[in-house]
Amino acid sequence: MTQYGMIIDLDKCVGCGACALGCKTENNTGDRAGGQTFNWADFMVTEEGRFPRATTTTLPVLCNHCSNAKCVEACPVEPKAMFKTADGITMHNDERCIGCQSCQEACPYSVLDISEGGAQYSVISFNEDGIGNFSRFESKTAVIAGGTSTGEELTRLTDAKPAHRTEYRHPDYDNVRRPDVTEKCIFCAHRVAEGKLPRCVVVCPAEARVFGDLSDANSEAARLLKANKSFRLNEKAGTQPNVHYIGSFVTRKNG
Amino acid sequence: MRLRRRDFLKTAAAVGATALTTGPRLNALAAAPITASSGESKGRWVATTCQGCTTWCPLEVFVQDGRAVKVRGNRHSKQNDGVCCPRGHLGLAQVYDPDRVKVPLKRTNPVKGRGVDPKFVPITWDVALDTIADRMMDLRRNGEAHKYLLMRGRYTYNRDVIYDAMTKIFGSPNNISHSAICAEAEKFGPYYTEGLWDYRDYDMDKCKYLLVWGCDPVSSNRMVPSAIKRLSGIVKRGTLAVVDPKSQTSALKAQEWLPIKPGEDGALAGAIAHEILVNGKWNREFVGEFVDRKNLFVPGKVVDEAAFAEVHTSGLVKWWNLELKDRTAKWASKRTGLDAGQIKRVAKGLGEAAPNVAVWLGPGACMQVRGGYASMAIHALNGLLGAVDNEGGTLDKAHIPVLKMPKLDAYLDDVAKVKHKKIDQRGTKEFPALAKGKPGGGVVTNNAARGMLDADPYDIKMAIGYMNNFTFSCTGAQRWEEAMTKLPFYVHLTTNASEMTMFADIVLPCAMTTFEKWGWVKGKQNRYAYASLLQPVIDPVFDVRTEETEIPWLIAEKLAERGFTNLLDFYRNEYKDSDTGASAKDAKDFARVVTKYYLSPIWTTEKGKGGDLVGDWDEMVARGMWNSDPYPYKKRWGKFKTETSKFEFYSATLKKALTAHAGKHKTTVDDVLETCKYTARGQLAFIPHYEEPFRSGDPKEFPLVFVDHKSRLNREGRSANTTWFQEFKKVDPGDVSWDDVLKINPLDAKKYGIGDGDMVRVTSTTGSFELKVRLWEGVRPGVVTKCYGQGHWAYGAVAATEFGKIPRGINNNEIMPAEYDRLSGSTARNGGFTGIKLEKI
Ligand code: SF4
Ligand code: SF4
Ligand code: SF4
Repeated sequence: MTQYGMIIDLDKCVGCGACALGCKTENNTGDRAGGQTFNWADFMVTEEGRFPRATTTTLPVLCNHCSNAKCVEACPVEPKAMFKTADGITMHNDERCIGCQSCQEACPYSVLDISEGGAQYSVISFNEDGIGNFSRFESKTAVIAGGTSTGEELTRLTDAKPAHRTEYRHPDYDNVRRPDVTEKCIFCAHRVAEGKLPRCVVVCPAEARVFGDLSDANSEAARLLKANKSFRLNEKAGTQPNVHYIGSFVTRKNG
Repeated sequence: MRLRRRDFLKTAAAVGATALTTGPRLNALAAAPITASSGESKGRWVATTCQGCTTWCPLEVFVQDGRAVKVRGNRHSKQNDGVCCPRGHLGLAQVYDPDRVKVPLKRTNPVKGRGVDPKFVPITWDVALDTIADRMMDLRRNGEAHKYLLMRGRYTYNRDVIYDAMTKIFGSPNNISHSAICAEAEKFGPYYTEGLWDYRDYDMDKCKYLLVWGCDPVSSNRMVPSAIKRLSGIVKRGTLAVVDPKSQTSALKAQEWLPIKPGEDGALAGAIAHEILVNGKWNREFVGEFVDRKNLFVPGKVVDEAAFAEVHTSGLVKWWNLELKDRTAKWASKRTGLDAGQIKRVAKGLGEAAPNVAVWLGPGACMQVRGGYASMAIHALNGLLGAVDNEGGTLDKAHIPVLKMPKLDAYLDDVAKVKHKKIDQRGTKEFPALAKGKPGGGVVTNNAARGMLDADPYDIKMAIGYMNNFTFSCTGAQRWEEAMTKLPFYVHLTTNASEMTMFADIVLPCAMTTFEKWGWVKGKQNRYAYASLLQPVIDPVFDVRTEETEIPWLIAEKLAERGFTNLLDFYRNEYKDSDTGASAKDAKDFARVVTKYYLSPIWTTEKGKGGDLVGDWDEMVARGMWNSDPYPYKKRWGKFKTETSKFEFYSATLKKALTAHAGKHKTTVDDVLETCKYTARGQLAFIPHYEEPFRSGDPKEFPLVFVDHKSRLNREGRSANTTWFQEFKKVDPGDVSWDDVLKINPLDAKKYGIGDGDMVRVTSTTGSFELKVRLWEGVRPGVVTKCYGQGHWAYGAVAATEFGKIPRGINNNEIMPAEYDRLSGSTARNGGFTGIKLEKI
């Protein structure tokens, strides 16, 4: 059985941010608002050691598409709005979602409110009605009245919100989610279905992200996993993530 | 805590809610049944070029329904292999920035100054252009055409039209570019050693030891995506070493981090050279050998010049005798704060991997008062190691077949032919600005403010600025605020109401680079030079024009209406469609014709020569770019463009330039050096050598050194108004999203009783500022660092806390005073020359 997964090679990754921005432009995710990040791809920054041995690791993070997905387990809807596809993607069906945020609460990589408790990121965000994640494209105030544009005007002129909205289709999710549902990385299933790689993979300038079928020993992803020491985030939560990290973000051993 | 929907949905959830009957219907799926197939909706990839930084990546933009929706590298690019850096994507948030200027504006408040509301009102293009043309004609009538100033910021090579042609034909010497505010010292070293007034290309694919100096190539410095792709290869195959007082990403990836004291770069370079020579690790093929093969480079000992036979270099023994013989690792260790063992180790590593090594000279090493000599010293290592034009080393660029600007002479009338001095005071005794060997040959951008304030050599009555923001981007930014307040008439060509716009009398809204305009650029990376075009990927969202071509054409039309036709004649007669021979029909057409003109050799006269075969203009537009063949190794060996045709360790080229400058001012080279704040005297002036760092502010009063650095998300100071820049600011090591923090080592923090997140008062010689502190172990104690990019008090609603009034953070350029590396004309910037003091608030 297919099990899609991703290998992120930290030897190669430079923490540049292109993956996160590539994801935002592909999936039209909004701006941080109301305790929600709307970053389907994000970073976890860890600082260790003292000068001159101090290090900063910028770890790219995304939905782990866990084999034992707590979000799926927690989804109360029948059939589940958060569910596993046949090829191992943790999928979200916008239409069935009742917006109860049970998935968000259950996911060990998510928090209900990013502004509390010090979490650096949240895989799942909640698109509460009126939360303001597109307020930049809704604002009616111009910085120079009559001279500069407004969000509302831009939206009217481009006939899209966000103005750079990428149009695509998928039976389970819309390219801009409707209000009052949760949302997260869906491994770009709309691209995968067309034989394309996830957007964060193709935009990575370091070629650090490898997507593939982990159950197929011949896939590059499986090969990399076999050949390298690897780790996953929060193993002890028992979620069996399908996003694996190999290599090390920091090379330097001393100052 | 926020009230969660879950709380009131709990009951429904417990009984197993079925969304299909209770939830609202999905908007898209309401129209399309759930069986709708997956995939991208229709669209096409259109080629253009990124100008988020000076890498200038060939790009492609995906266009759906006339909207730009995503970005990638150009598939044809042998530089970025179809992938761009994060900034490429950020461009979308700039073209669709709701705060863009949408119509021409006129100032109605005659009072100017920071924080003063200009009371802009919309006007038509016609009225705006009439006003500008009237002003220009007045100047010509009054014999004051030279009091017109054109300031250039980010450009494409269509710049000739507005920067050169318009200024010169109109009759002013004052076309002032932005170049010297972030670069020229970086070109100074390579020019006065190997005759290359340019940035180098680095052959990362073959490099076995890369010594990065004063920059983070995966964040900035002109080959970003390419460096991101190749950095790990170097670490795997060889060694990466990074010289930087703060630990940015390359320093984390490196096997060796050399956290040097700011401004001591010349000491380290000297010691590495000393070590290489003493241990006999120089490259014999390039440099040569002692006549009797015995290494006479013994610490402290003078060597007879006749004892060494040089091959492609000149002046090695002079350099040793005058400078290097005493530059031991131990000596450098005291100056630099680095471990002598590490200095030796790095020198040894470089020597062993030579010539497949590169010393990557970045701005942090030389954008410093006296930085020109550090630039020479660091780049000279490439000569010593035989890395110049060599496999894995530092390269020049291959020939790019494009046209030059047509000759202006026939269009210069009597007004235009009168010679006047330039407002940036280049070429005065204090500002040699020795670009390309010529006294006064280079621009001293930042000093134009002084020229304007002091009316020296004369007063400026009218200025046009395009895609520049000197009141934000120049150090000592306050001086620019004063100069702009004093300027009687200013026209700003811009996309956003930036800080400089707030001083404008007329604002003309401009097309966004990459997405809305014609243009073209040249570049090089990975041995491949290229020409890449910019084209209107989308119809502009607002009523904007292209600043480099359309606007000068429109002004030329207005001047012609007023009886001065030379400019329009030049544009009409000299820029012709290279296929049809026709002149441009109108301003819009002119933008395309000019682009086509410059690039025409690629598919006409030099078709297929030295690079990609491009059939015709349509193919050029479709593929967007042309790649050269790979740059041939050792191309310039034996014919460097220096006085001796050699790689000069004793720079006969600099000697000639400095002597000429001194001669012009009827004085000695020593006097010039003293006037320009250098310490060297005598022969030292002509060789790469160590100069003690210059600090602004008495160290007793200002004990800490402030170091400015670049953000990997900063699109030349223009992306701070995007939410994505703010959201992902944390990818700059030590930085905090949505904030502007002063990064300070915890040891220093303890001394001042400062905790993480505390507000402090930062004082430099320019003033006092309040900032938030971030404790960060990644910075050397004694050094305080902050990323450039925040501190906008205008630009838009995101960049500023309150537009026109309250900045988000503090602009580094207000903390740093205006200082210069006067030999190159460079503004001192990220080298760390600003003393500051901190007080907890
Ligand atoms: S785009 Fe690639 S290199 Fe950049 S942060 Fe993401 S994974 Fe790392
Ligand atoms: S797989 Fe797609 S949705 Fe997931 S993080 Fe990458 S780009 Fe975003
Ligand atoms: S910002 Fe610079 S490196 Fe990044 S994509 Fe644009 S031109 Fe390339």
